[in-house]
Amino acid sequence: MTTSKPSGRRRAASVISVIGEVLITAGLVLALFVVYSLWWTNVLADRHAAKASEKVRQQWAAGPTGTGKQAARGLDTKDGIGFLHVPAMGKNFQVLVKKGTSTSVLNEGVAGYYTDPTPAAMPWEKTGNFTLAAHRDGHGAKFHDINKIHTGDPVVFESKDTWYVYKVYKVLDQTSKYDVAVTDQIPQESGVKKPGRYITLTTCTPVYTSRYRYVVWGELVRTQKVDAQRTPPPELR
Amino acid sequence: MYGWIWRHLPGNAWVRALISLVLALIVVYILFQYVFPWAEPLLPFNDVTVDNGMAAVR
Repeated sequence: MTTSKPSGRRRAASVISVIGEVLITAGLVLALFVVYSLWWTNVLADRHAAKASEKVRQQWAAGPTGTGKQAARGLDTKDGIGFLHVPAMGKNFQVLVKKGTSTSVLNEGVAGYYTDPTPAAMPWEKTGNFTLAAHRDGHGAKFHDINKIHTGDPVVFESKDTWYVYKVYKVLDQTSKYDVAVTDQIPQESGVKKPGRYITLTTCTPVYTSRYRYVVWGELVRTQKVDAQRTPPPELR
Repeated sequence: MYGWIWRHLPGNAWVRALISLVLALIVVYILFQYVFPWAEPLLPFNDVTVDNGMAAVR
């Protein structure tokens, strides 16, 4: 500050310090965005999903337990059609399944069944592929641990009146995001040729990005009626 | 920038610090509530479905 032109120096210094502060601010905002994506969206989605799951459970408990087809399956409504259980992703892992795979549906911390490009078949249909998607990170991150699912692991879908027990027979740990054939009704990419009752889980991979898709295929092994206590099948115990 | 804000806040250092904290919290709130939810779908970090490319515009 003892130079002959203090004002010019000071102006340069203040311009530089403003640039520096802007850069620091940008860094903080980006850090906050990471916090938002990986933590806050999970908080919101888990809260939302817990409420929605509770609502479906209450409807099931309140609704008629008759044998009528619609009454029994209950509600292919916007509230959700049932729960997916995957012991490989945690002992008490369950996620509500809703219609559609749009961002707004998946951001509620649920798994969505495909309506586009290939509509999913429901588990109770005679043949078809029950195709699901959920977030890998953020917004509940329900399929975060999808890489822990291995061939032979059980995947169970719980509807109002039936447990659908699937067994994983093929894992594709990386494919193009345009690979819509993985959700075909006969997913030939998984090696099957005949119509059957399949389940397909899709999410993004590697973690924290959306570069590729991760796919897990299973085939129905058996079904089990839900009893009055909703006793889970042996696979979930 | 921050120096300018600090100099224009009223009160003594404690009051200024308190106001600064409140301002920072307001900024974080606006970011989490409005800015990030808006920005997130525009960034390619969280697409999980297979599609035929149409979802790129959603």
